[in-house]
Amino acid sequence: MQELKTGDKVNLTNGVQAKIVKELGRGGQGIVYLVDLGGKQMALKWYLKAPDNKFYKNLEENISKGSPSDAFLWPEYLTRKEKGSYGYIMKLRPQGYYEFGQYLLARRQFGSFEAMLNAAMKICEGFYKLHLSGLSYQDLNDGNFFIEPQTGDVLICDNDNVMPDGRKSGIMGKARYMAPEVVGGKAPDKYSDRFSLAVILFMLFFGNHPFEGSRVLACPCMTETFEKKFYGSEILFIYDDNKENRPVRGVHNNVLRRWPAMPKQLQDAFKEQFSKEILSAPDKRMIEKKWKGVIQSLRDTLVRCPKCGNETFVSDSAAPVCMNCGKLLDLSGKLVLGNGREILLTPNTTVYIDDDNNPDIKVIPVPGDKYPVQLQNVTKKNWVVETQSGKIKSIEPGACVPVRTGLKLSIGTLKFEIQ
Amino acid sequence: MGLLDNESIPRRQMTLFFLIDKSGSMDGSKIGSVNDAIENVLPIIGEISDENPDAEIRVAALEFSTDTRWLYDEPKEGKDFIWQKVTAEGMTSLGEACRELNKKLSRSNGFMSSPSGCYAPAIILLSDGGPTDDFESGLAVLKNNSWFKSAIKIAIAIGDDADMEVLKQFTGSLEAVIKVHNIDALKKMIRIIAVTSSQIGSKSSSATDESKQKQVEEQITEAAKDVAGAESAAAPAPSKQDNYDEWD
Repeated sequence: MQELKTGDKVNLTNGVQAKIVKELGRGGQGIVYLVDLGGKQMALKWYLKAPDNKFYKNLEENISKGSPSDAFLWPEYLTRKEKGSYGYIMKLRPQGYYEFGQYLLARRQFGSFEAMLNAAMKICEGFYKLHLSGLSYQDLNDGNFFIEPQTGDVLICDNDNVMPDGRKSGIMGKARYMAPEVVGGKAPDKYSDRFSLAVILFMLFFGNHPFEGSRVLACPCMTETFEKKFYGSEILFIYDDNKENRPVRGVHNNVLRRWPAMPKQLQDAFKEQFSKEILSAPDKRMIEKKWKGVIQSLRDTLVRCPKCGNETFVSDSAAPVCMNCGKLLDLSGKLVLGNGREILLTPNTTVYIDDDNNPDIKVIPVPGDKYPVQLQNVTKKNWVVETQSGKIKSIEPGACVPVRTGLKLSIGTLKFEIQ
Repeated sequence: MGLLDNESIPRRQMTLFFLIDKSGSMDGSKIGSVNDAIENVLPIIGEISDENPDAEIRVAALEFSTDTRWLYDEPKEGKDFIWQKVTAEGMTSLGEACRELNKKLSRSNGFMSSPSGCYAPAIILLSDGGPTDDFESGLAVLKNNSWFKSAIKIAIAIGDDADMEVLKQFTGSLEAVIKVHNIDALKKMIRIIAVTSSQIGSKSSSATDESKQKQVEEQITEAAKDVAGAESAAAPAPSKQDNYDEWD
């Protein structure tokens, strides 16, 4: 066991030295230290037992490739092999980010559904980019995410098992998050990443585990044999058509409350992903891009209820009912895209046009104005508006467009009509 | 309750059992170290449990000498477990301790009745001698208990007088017996074994066909290499007469 002390210096492969300031935390594999790197504070993950040379080489490769997206606390520098082990340097986790486990334990909760959707979007975007660069994560579980509760920003950590898809890291994963085929003995890959991703997304939205219902609860002792059965050979989604594993009142309360309130397209996505057919066909699992589409469609129907002021998903825009106060709500209008996409508008709703987490439109109330609800441009670029009579106007950042039927609004390459 | 409000996810309980030999021969620094080590590891276990979305870890402790006694009549969370100092005197009724453990490894009237279910328990046996009662029949009862069969079982043999064969029979393999030769090693190994057993269910594993028992054995055997005066009972120890310095 090779621990470091405050003041110790470790040499990086680029010739720079990192000085140990203090220990930040420790896990099974190693210790994370706060280090000083030429005046800059960074984090050093130091392995208690040096993994083999293949692992070192892989880290080296990942460092030179660089982070697939800003969602990752990616290894940035490697230490030399010294002091009986080695480690890598990454950015520090900023203040205000909490482990996903803290959300599961109800010590933290999202400030809004908007933040929850942002978190889901950022996670999907991260794995989309990771898989796009030919890598697989291989050990995706609840311990890999730090989330900011108000904005939903996410940082993905523990990126040291990331390998080119198809290469074995030697790690199979964590029980309850491993894909059924991995539980059965197959090596993890990007397809098993996609299973674990769907489990994480489900837990993020519903606060319970997708495969832990009455059937699993009835098992008095989760031995390894039962684990292989309930998370492998006989895995059964809690909302499968086979009703043997439904959530139990008094135990799985989060999902019992939220499942009926969440939009049908989300329910359908999980029902499909966790169906027997897809569970046993890894290559048919939903790709991250499609998940992003699902999340975007949820965003489009998320509005603030003008009556009670809470956020609500609106499943039927012809008869919009608030999921909190149960009352019919007045939609101010909607943005309609040529492909049929509809974004619902009420005062105080934030609109995301694309699949990043930067808001594009703030729907603002302007009491007393001829147009009491307006769309404020919160992007950094000008919009173009065309009136029904054909007049063209440029809308600068910060400026507003009235919610008026018939106006045509161009944001970037997308052309909406206000209805 | 708003739709964003969460309740904690249900967690299965993992009970960490300490079986402590407090026979007369443990008197003095041995029992003092056991007391000290367990008292100090309890807050660590409390923390592991507290931060763990997979399992709630609870602790139960049975002391045995001529008689047996549970320190609490139910498993407690590490942070709520106030350690009552164990004093050493009397015989080594390990057979009786096995029967007593068997009673509690049960859902009805035992310790295994958590509403969200359990994981297999972890059982740490500490002893410095050999049983003075009918150990075989006690162990035979325990070996029929499914909870015991699935449990992670580790023994710490304190000093040279510990009956290795008995500890091997209890744990099921010599690899699960750690021998300690000094007080410092005893304290360190109690901590390492308790922490490793508590964490094993919530860590990523490198192979799905390797049992948790094997994983714990490997990790503590590895950790024991860094603890002077501790070794896996299965590891070959050089004889005092042999000198291998030139091979270092």
